[in-house]
Amino acid sequence: MQNKATKIIKKEDKKDRIAAILMLSPVVILLLVCSIYPFLWMFRYVCYDYNGFTATFTGARNFTRMIHDTTFWTSVGHTFEYALYKLVFIIPLALVCAVLLNQKIKGTSVFRAVYFMPTVISSSISGMIFTFIFATQNGILNGILMALGMDAPVQWLTSPDHVMSAVTVLAVWGGFGNYMLYFITGMNVISEDVYEAAKIDGANGIQTFFKITLPMLSPILKVVLMLAITGAFKDYEAIMVLTQGGPGNRSMVMFLYIYNMIFGSGLTNMTQPQIGYGALLSVVAAIIVGIVTIAYQRIARKLDNVM
Amino acid sequence: MEKSRAVMSGKQKAVMAVIWLLMLILAILTIFPVVYIVLGSFKSNVELLVGGSNIFPTEWHFENYVQAWTGAKFATYTWNSIVISVCVMLISLFISTMAGYVFSRSRFPGKNLIYGVFIAFMFINVGSVSIRPLYELATALHLNESLLPIILISVGTGQATYIFLSRGFVDSVPRELDEAAKIDGCTFFQTFIRIILPVLKPVMGTIALLSFRQGWNEYIMPLVFTMARDNLRPLTVGVNMLKATGGGAAAWNVMFAGASIAVVPMLIIYIIFNKNFMSGSTAGAVKG
Repeated sequence: MQNKATKIIKKEDKKDRIAAILMLSPVVILLLVCSIYPFLWMFRYVCYDYNGFTATFTGARNFTRMIHDTTFWTSVGHTFEYALYKLVFIIPLALVCAVLLNQKIKGTSVFRAVYFMPTVISSSISGMIFTFIFATQNGILNGILMALGMDAPVQWLTSPDHVMSAVTVLAVWGGFGNYMLYFITGMNVISEDVYEAAKIDGANGIQTFFKITLPMLSPILKVVLMLAITGAFKDYEAIMVLTQGGPGNRSMVMFLYIYNMIFGSGLTNMTQPQIGYGALLSVVAAIIVGIVTIAYQRIARKLDNVM
Repeated sequence: MEKSRAVMSGKQKAVMAVIWLLMLILAILTIFPVVYIVLGSFKSNVELLVGGSNIFPTEWHFENYVQAWTGAKFATYTWNSIVISVCVMLISLFISTMAGYVFSRSRFPGKNLIYGVFIAFMFINVGSVSIRPLYELATALHLNESLLPIILISVGTGQATYIFLSRGFVDSVPRELDEAAKIDGCTFFQTFIRIILPVLKPVMGTIALLSFRQGWNEYIMPLVFTMARDNLRPLTVGVNMLKATGGGAAAWNVMFAGASIAVVPMLIIYIIFNKNFMSGSTAGAVKG
């Protein structure tokens, strides 16, 4: 009798397990096809010359080419430069906005919604909108600056001296609301009592910020910085639309250069893709991002010990 | 609130006013590009090509939209964008809640390993190189004549976050609910449909918004897939192609109208659901 009951339960369990596996299969198949297969595929062509139709084994030639490819290494440098500019502006701005919006001021929810708004727009479309804004002859930015009394239009997108500022403006515009929101979420954890106590002790706003908000935010700050750094290294969609890496590769970042290798540069008159070489560069780029991530975590931990 | 305002001194009030003004300026700067593009889409092409500092059009040219809609194929692009984002949303909703349920409730060997691989691939990012083998695969399977590969790849690259969100939510649902259902004779799958899904509504709302946005905003992957197929392009690709092929004296008015068509629907959805958008974005990132 009991034996029969356990048998039924076992049968039920087996059925449930099959159901579970069936229910999990769509996401597992998509993971295999969309993530794991491309990841392995990338290594297959590292030592090949492959243009999309024919592949020839070239041994270490891709590797030696990479060593001497100054355009690639400058693009790596530009990636670091871009990440630095983006972080220097976006993190303080996001933090200040979060602190101010945490005050009891009228309209905070409207401000918050407005600051977050750019993040729902595709970076390809924001890139395009900013090409119109930054256009030298008929762009609205130069139009306003000229109306305010500037003599000559600034070549925002066509001069190597200004292009990085244009790229940074777009990056900050498109992302600060997101990081602001992370900070606000983090701040909600800090209890009201701590602020009350500080108030009673006679701390002013700036003291409260440096002595209470910032130290208590430091775990969140660490996570947000991590996300911001890795995010900045992977950005290329908006830059691709805004400047195509130009002028003269001045705004060429690592992942944009890799895109041009794998799919050919230019939207209309394409160059021949060099997929094998691009695959090698992708591996190197992933390693660079990995090293930066690990280095950042080491530094963050060291700072923790000091404080 | 009332009380704290009463104690505010005159100096504090002045500081607050300055802060408020600064935030207003930042808000105007943030919203400016969008206002500029939408108002600019009603300007004549001549007015746009001359430039200047005027934000409002001198004459309202609604025919820019007609020109974009019929002449520049924006009707097709809009349709493709809608199909892609709605399908990405529905498929993501269905498969990621199921997976979250299985990861939370089922026990089978290798479960944690599979979950670990999902999480690992959230962090491994090799950039555009991963699109190449998928493009070649889709071509070999003759799927590249439809929107299907674009939809499936978009789902595949976004699903990890949604699975993560659903699993966290199912974990917080008391197990007694499932056990009661089991005693009532529900199978594993029936328990999911009848008991878990109705409870999952809040997280499903978040997943729906995030995945819809993801599908709508996808750019590089559909760009690659529709390089030679104009009629499969979504708005993001269509409007940028117009800019690339137009050259210097391009039809700025049509491009402005096109960019507005690509941005405004998303903004309307955002205005309606902005609180859900914000909570969803932080949930995905902070936990991930």
